[in-house]
Amino acid sequence: MSIIDMLVRVDAICKKFDKYDPSKQHKDLIINPDDHFLQLYTTMEAEIEATVKKANEAAEEKNRAAVATMNAEIRRTKAALREEIPKLERLAKKKVKALSPEDLAARPDLVVALAARIDDIPEGTMMGAKKKKKIDKSHIEIKIDSAAADEAFSSERYEHTAESAAYQEEFQHRKNKQDQNLDIISEGLSTLKNMAEDISEELDKQDPMVGEMEEKIDKATGDLTKNNARMKEVVSKIRSGRNFCIDVILLCVLLGIAAYIYK
Amino acid sequence: MGDIKHRDKENDPDRMMRKGDKLTKLSLTRWTSDWARATPYYEQAANLFKIAKKTEKAKEAHERAAMGQERLASPWHAGKHMESAGALAKELGLWNEVADFFRRASELYIESGKPQPAAEALSRGGRALEDGLPDEAVKMYLEAVGIFEEEQREQMAFDTYRSATSLYIKLQRYTDAATMLLRWGQSADKCKATSTQCKTCVGAVIVYLYAQDFKQAEQCQNDLSMIDAYFQSEQNRFAEQLLNAYREGNPEEVKHVVKSSGVINHLDHMIIRLAKQLPVGDISHLAESSGAGGEAAAEGLEEDDLT
Repeated sequence: MSIIDMLVRVDAICKKFDKYDPSKQHKDLIINPDDHFLQLYTTMEAEIEATVKKANEAAEEKNRAAVATMNAEIRRTKAALREEIPKLERLAKKKVKALSPEDLAARPDLVVALAARIDDIPEGTMMGAKKKKKIDKSHIEIKIDSAAADEAFSSERYEHTAESAAYQEEFQHRKNKQDQNLDIISEGLSTLKNMAEDISEELDKQDPMVGEMEEKIDKATGDLTKNNARMKEVVSKIRSGRNFCIDVILLCVLLGIAAYIYK
Repeated sequence: MGDIKHRDKENDPDRMMRKGDKLTKLSLTRWTSDWARATPYYEQAANLFKIAKKTEKAKEAHERAAMGQERLASPWHAGKHMESAGALAKELGLWNEVADFFRRASELYIESGKPQPAAEALSRGGRALEDGLPDEAVKMYLEAVGIFEEEQREQMAFDTYRSATSLYIKLQRYTDAATMLLRWGQSADKCKATSTQCKTCVGAVIVYLYAQDFKQAEQCQNDLSMIDAYFQSEQNRFAEQLLNAYREGNPEEVKHVVKSSGVINHLDHMIIRLAKQLPVGDISHLAESSGAGGEAAAEGLEEDDLT
């Protein structure tokens, strides 16, 4: 064999087993340990590719539940990736040494392209598009200080919707009930008023009567006390001397016997 | 139980009566009736008869007791006995006697210098006679009311006024009833009993309307509006509404006014009954006749007021 043949064969074999060469492998990754942008960029790219693969799998999947779960996962990753985009943009602006100015200018474009790729990942439904539309619609409806004059005075605004009609009906119903109750209360109050007036008149009538009674009773008590005093005088006069007491006692005994005999 | 009582000497009313009679009957041994001793017997007899429910005998006993008290110069007690006798006579249905007794009782009260109980006795007599001799009852009521008014004791008269009015309405003497109501209103005015006054005034208007005497009712209302107390009351407003409904000749309006007013419920129940029956008769003719006349009258009044 000639030396040239040997060299060629050795080159071929080396190339074959290059992937097992650790020094060679690091070459790709030792781009620059300080270049965070590239690191983040590469990780995001890898994730995008994985998500796309998953999306393809989902498109071929027959089981709808599995499809739904896969789509949900894809959406989640998409959302996570979208969040990383601003970080990437910031890093893109940073200046890294050993990087050519053209590369630096190209980085923001890369970021935008990446964002577009993320959005393009199919998630199996049309919901994304719908959501967008809906949000726009609600934006149109909720206008607080709409300066459009014709819209403010449009008759549509003042027409009843079902809700407002029901509300008004309930309001009326409650008002009527309150009125009824107030009527009942007013009737009761007028009865009370009449009774109170009658009581007042009765009291006016009876007041002088009570006064007269008081007078007469006072007079009677006066008479009684006078008579009691006089009787006391008389009795004390008679009581002088014990003989009188004995006389009285004997008299009573006699009367008792007589009454007993004649009864 | 009654028999046991009769056996007992003390509680034998007939015996009591006999004792009393013995003491009062004139005979050879007795030249003057001894009422002083007889009266207590009669009184006791009367009580016992009442308990025993021997109404006739009790009445007699009361009469005798009254006579006795009279002779004893205590007309007050005599009057009391007379009243009891009258009440018992009412139970027996001897209407003439009832009237006599109560009248006599009232006279005795006046003798004793107490006019108020006299009037009250007459009033009670009237009430007792309502069923039997209504005309006589009416007379007694009027007398009672007269005495009350004389004695300036109108406040006590209210009950009598009320009984008299209800009797008149029962007898369908509506003008008399209205007059009585107005008289009642007058005495209420004297006692400053405004509420009663307003109620009686409205009652009078209602009675006139019930008697289909619209002119009289209107006149009455006009007279009453002069009274301040009545003019400011809700009873006045009610009367005005009622009369307006009448002037329009609209019976439904009349009914509506009566039903919707709270005033009616506080009046006397016999007047409420009358009011519920309004309108009586045909009132549509009032619409034409009083339409022009009413206005002219109102204008005439206003002119008078301005002068």
